[in-house]
Amino acid sequence: MIKKIPVTLIAMGFTLLTKPAVTWACSVCFGDADDSITAGFNASVLFLMATPYTVMGFIAGGLIWAYRRTKRQRERMESAQSIAPLAWNQEDSGR
Amino acid sequence: MAQSSTARKLDDAPTIHEARKPAFGGGDPPQPPVRPNAPIASNVWLAVLMFLGAEAMFFAGLIGAFLVFRVGSQVWPPPFQPRLPTALTAVNTIILLASAVTMRLGLRANQRGERDRLIQRLSWTAVLGAIFLLIQGYEWLQLLHFGLTVSSSVYGSLFYTIIGFHAAHVLGALIWLVIVWSKARQGRYTQQHYVGLQTCAMYWVFVVALWPLLYGLVYLY
Repeated sequence: MIKKIPVTLIAMGFTLLTKPAVTWACSVCFGDADDSITAGFNASVLFLMATPYTVMGFIAGGLIWAYRRTKRQRERMESAQSIAPLAWNQEDSGR
Repeated sequence: MAQSSTARKLDDAPTIHEARKPAFGGGDPPQPPVRPNAPIASNVWLAVLMFLGAEAMFFAGLIGAFLVFRVGSQVWPPPFQPRLPTALTAVNTIILLASAVTMRLGLRANQRGERDRLIQRLSWTAVLGAIFLLIQGYEWLQLLHFGLTVSSSVYGSLFYTIIGFHAAHVLGALIWLVIVWSKARQGRYTQQHYVGLQTCAMYWVFVVALWPLLYGLVYLY
């Protein structure tokens, strides 16, 4: 398997160098820079570039919100149960 | 040997109730309170959050395709194609946004333990969602009557694909909502355990929040 890797790489390089330009897969390698279709592709690319960051931001925001909510609930629960250590301290206070 | 001693230590660890027992008869001071190791969110909530991320990426792909054709076109809508009913859809947008408000109010009612109000507000949400779908179906019939079909132009293809997928999502959310509504009637949700209701609300709000963006792009831009 490892011996086949250089042969595969050479074959791939040869194919890339010899194929005609019309078969290039790049979807925006045509038209002028001022073409409306180029502007359309640019708008789409910029939108799709920004989307994953927005989605991940929302997921991270959701997790932070859930963490803070759990922390608040935990603190509320602990403050409600803090009567037990106070009862122990009463003995020390001598009352 | 080390393993068994570790296990014994874990077995001997005082429970939260033992640690908090007042010791008036002397002895060591009580240990600090034991923090419950509760997760910050349920697995279902996390799964739905990830699912919504995937859904957002799916719609981003559709919007990306729309932008290529819309920004790339000199004239939009193309000549001899019917115009979309923006005024009626604006009313429909308000109806769908109102359904998100009723859903939020339903969640709040559940947090207060008001079961009747929860059921009432879920019913309102479902009715508003159904009205949205009915108005959209009426719009589609009108547009088909005026000659806008999936194969008539790229304008029609984009419209029916993007708006159709959103309508399918609203329908899916509506089915989910009806299931949640029936479970709420059976009293399955409490103030502490309501993850089914919560995840349904998340999905509903996602579908509603997506709509103004699609309306602005497809109908107004």
